[in-house]
Amino acid sequence: MAAPPAIDYAGLGRVQVRTSRRHEVLSLLQRLDWVLLGATAAAVAYGLWAIAGITHADVPDNPNYYLIRQGSYAAIGAVLFVLALLVEPRFYLRYRMVIYAGTLATMGFILVAGAAARHSRRWIDLGFFRFQPSEFGKVLFVLFLAGFLAEKGRRIGEARVVATAVGLAAGPVLLVFLQPDIGTALVYSAALAAVLFIAGARWWHLVGLGLAVVIAALAILWWLPAGGVDVLKPYQAERLYGFVNPDKNPQGSTYNVNQSITAVGAGGIYGRGVRGSTQTTLNYLPEHGTDFAFASLAEQRGFLGASLLLLLYLLIIWRGLKVVTLARDAFSAIVAGGIVAAFLFQVFVNVGMAMGIAPITGIPLPFVSVGGSSMIANLLAIGILEAIHARGTGRAAFRRRRS
Amino acid sequence: MASGAFPDRFLPPDPRVEEPYRHTPRVALRVAILALLTLGLFAILFLRLWALQVLSGHRYLSDALNNQVRSVPIEAPRGSIVDRNGRLLVTNVPGTQVLLWPSDLRKRTGRDTELRRLSKVLGVPMKTIVAKIKARAGDSLTPITLQVAVHKDQVAYLLEHKDEFPGIEISQTYLRRYRAEALAAHVFGYTREISAAQLKDGRKCYVRTRSGGGARKYQAADVIGQSGIEAAYDCELRGLPGKTVRTVDSLGRPTGAPRDEIQPVSGNTIRLTLDISLQRAAERALRYGIGLARADGHWAANGGAVVAMDPRDGSILALASNPTYKPGVWVGRLDPKRVKVLLDPKAAKAANYPGLDRAIDGTYPAGSTFKPVTALAALGQHLVSPYESLPCTGEYVVRGQTGAGQTFKNWDPSVNENMTMPTAIAASCDTYFYRVGYMFYGLPGNLGHPLQDWASRFGIGARTGIDIGPESGGLLPTPEWLQQTFTKKSDPCCWQIDSLWKPGDSIQLAIGQKDLLVTPLQMTRFYAMIANGGKLVTPHLLGDVEAPGGNPRAPKVLPGGTRPWALQKTGVDPAALAVVRDGLYGATHGTNGTATSVFGSYPVAIAGKTGTAEKVVTLPGFKGLMDQSWWCGYAPADSPTITVCALIENGGHGGTAAAPAALKVFEEFFHLPGVYVPPANSD
Repeated sequence: MAAPPAIDYAGLGRVQVRTSRRHEVLSLLQRLDWVLLGATAAAVAYGLWAIAGITHADVPDNPNYYLIRQGSYAAIGAVLFVLALLVEPRFYLRYRMVIYAGTLATMGFILVAGAAARHSRRWIDLGFFRFQPSEFGKVLFVLFLAGFLAEKGRRIGEARVVATAVGLAAGPVLLVFLQPDIGTALVYSAALAAVLFIAGARWWHLVGLGLAVVIAALAILWWLPAGGVDVLKPYQAERLYGFVNPDKNPQGSTYNVNQSITAVGAGGIYGRGVRGSTQTTLNYLPEHGTDFAFASLAEQRGFLGASLLLLLYLLIIWRGLKVVTLARDAFSAIVAGGIVAAFLFQVFVNVGMAMGIAPITGIPLPFVSVGGSSMIANLLAIGILEAIHARGTGRAAFRRRRS
Repeated sequence: MASGAFPDRFLPPDPRVEEPYRHTPRVALRVAILALLTLGLFAILFLRLWALQVLSGHRYLSDALNNQVRSVPIEAPRGSIVDRNGRLLVTNVPGTQVLLWPSDLRKRTGRDTELRRLSKVLGVPMKTIVAKIKARAGDSLTPITLQVAVHKDQVAYLLEHKDEFPGIEISQTYLRRYRAEALAAHVFGYTREISAAQLKDGRKCYVRTRSGGGARKYQAADVIGQSGIEAAYDCELRGLPGKTVRTVDSLGRPTGAPRDEIQPVSGNTIRLTLDISLQRAAERALRYGIGLARADGHWAANGGAVVAMDPRDGSILALASNPTYKPGVWVGRLDPKRVKVLLDPKAAKAANYPGLDRAIDGTYPAGSTFKPVTALAALGQHLVSPYESLPCTGEYVVRGQTGAGQTFKNWDPSVNENMTMPTAIAASCDTYFYRVGYMFYGLPGNLGHPLQDWASRFGIGARTGIDIGPESGGLLPTPEWLQQTFTKKSDPCCWQIDSLWKPGDSIQLAIGQKDLLVTPLQMTRFYAMIANGGKLVTPHLLGDVEAPGGNPRAPKVLPGGTRPWALQKTGVDPAALAVVRDGLYGATHGTNGTATSVFGSYPVAIAGKTGTAEKVVTLPGFKGLMDQSWWCGYAPADSPTITVCALIENGGHGGTAAAPAALKVFEEFFHLPGVYVPPANSD
């Protein structure tokens, strides 16, 4: 029985140029989005410089402790970036169920046996490194959801498909929520919304989902507690309360955000420098290397320094959105959209939190916050974006075809 | 793994996919929407960043700068208290205290562990620490004093484990030292940390120093005088605290050298009018008097008061109250067992209220010591003439409206002779004064209540205005007071009878009985008035206020420190006074004087009156009338320089307990020993 003719729905024929391996690598390099790569490299370098200043007083007698760690993570992240670049995106599509099962298994394992810190189990302790799977989970989550939706093709318009996608997503989101890590759960949700959005879900499906989220939020925050069922941990409820009433109890739940706003404001236009940044170096601002890294950066480097970082983020997101439009197939486009949306969400919530316009959640600031998992996972995500770009229908590809 | 050259097997043919992927306008639109959303969100971030850093950067910068500087007050040494001869009575010794900055405590989990450990190390109950932190919630700029007078081992432990106790500070402080042991405990009072209620008052204090001064509000954690001189002259004693500004990290650990140090200014020295030798003698005399009473069979004699005052200006020379306590129990760590008798009502009652200053706050019926008041009032109203004889009989019968006779007995039932007023005072004839009392009852209503009027002119039943507190006013009964006290509500059965002023009320008031209540200080003041020729003094303990650290022999007195201690004219006729003084001299020297046996042979002429006042007392296992032993008088009789009142609770006859006790005070004052005479049984 003859195989049915393959349908070249991705237009692969146009870019199929069989040449030597060396030629392939060269062409891959040519097709990279160098602006995205440059912006990412700049953000990583800037983040390392920022962290060097922010944490220089944190470990006595070793001002570069975090810089060296963070630098090593960036190096590992660079390796993963290259690997991600080399992997054909369709590989993910094919093994999406493996990815899904692996993600669920890891998260389940963490809930049972993970290392606990500050009220939550998020890590697997590897001795030298505390591996936080939920950070990588962000990327994997986007990959398998995109796989599912791309495979459904135009049936995305059906409510059943959307519901199934949401059902698939609910597993990881719930597991992360139970860790508990509301921030990351929210990032996952944002990615889910973006993936559905880019895949082409109907507007009214999206609106319905949005309403469901609002109702769920109301239930968790007001209705269930009123009925005696507490979904949130006391400190989580306190943080949300503190976000709504920042002036209540300045030494308690809103201490962090008040100190953070003070740190940001005190930075002024030019910043207070590394030695002058009392909020950071005298430890008034807690978690200044991680959750509140932006506030410390703003204190030390001022409006100019903080703006520079925001502009780099904007550049990355812009190039990321461009990758969506240049993607070779639906799967790639959806993956790129999900990654970009998750990135945008993280940046906004973390920076907003540091300035008191978003509730306090433990979302790290991409490329800046101290933490290996976040650094490596973000570089991996950018690597996937670049892989999609390199195989996409961009100008480089066309140029390649013309030559 | 190479790129670009993937065979089709990665993408199996899918019949459901009808056409190759294309950028539909819908995807383009959605990417555009995402781009717009991105721009919008970043615009929000930039605007907020701009608002915080550029528009209100200055405000946050000053917040951040205030964050790291902490102004730590430096305690000023509290002023000393010296007696009239400059002898140091109350001073300071250095001590170590442990402070806690609650804002520096760890959040959540570590907090309870730390507090529990602190509680163990310092020996402060966990409950107390938590209560203190709660009381100071919202004020993060003042540390909590966890413990004072900390032992050096505890300090060493805390310093060794400094990192485990964030927010703990060890600093020097001053502890009060009472050099006179238990002497004059009620006069000095004590100091403790300001209470929440006191802080709420928002009292201000004008603190004077050698170079001017300034008003200062009481602040949290201030150690202030809580009673006695410490409280009355707290503003003089407290001085001005200094302060040092330090840079601290978020755990409150100082970083770098202190800056902007302002040195504290010591409190002023308070010189009292008290003579500590006389005070010692007075307290000894009290114990002596109580001993005499007990030896005489008055088993319940267990307390009393002695007041010695200069009748010319009202300066108090000795103010003793028994039982007493050591003021040192209030210093530093409170020993619950030792302060129990001062704080716990039950324990206080069992120990007969050692915290009560009986000299100014204890009230007793005046008994016969009140007779001079009646005498002066009768002479002032011209009810009797001084040398008119009235019968002094064993009993006096008054016919009431119903016709039934009411009998009032003399303390000496066998007497039956006519007496003039001086003799009646000297012999303390009750029936003489019953008759005078009945005369007051018979006065027409339009005259008011002349006996009470004169008594209140003499300061009876009112606070004397002494500069320490709390002082009791006592009670001078009037018909109006009776009506207010006995109403249908308070006395349902008999209010119609009880609220009436009856002959018995006047008769008993004439000898200082029934409802009348006075303090020993009031009586001292009254006898000082007799002694100084009719002027009512304002008793006071403050001599002057002196700048700290001066030469004790040539003190630098601060101007305006002393209040003008008012001398009040009473309008009493000097001739009437002379009659009463004659009677009082007769009481200590005459053949029928009630205290002749005690004072008659003393080389300095002492004049005064005994008193045996019946008071309803409740003792363990006893409720009923008990004789309160009184003696009040002055010396030398012709130009008095000292007035003494002695009271022995439940001590029996005035001549048995109070008079010999008072004599001991005169002995110390004149440096002349008396001749011991066995106590006479007299009124």
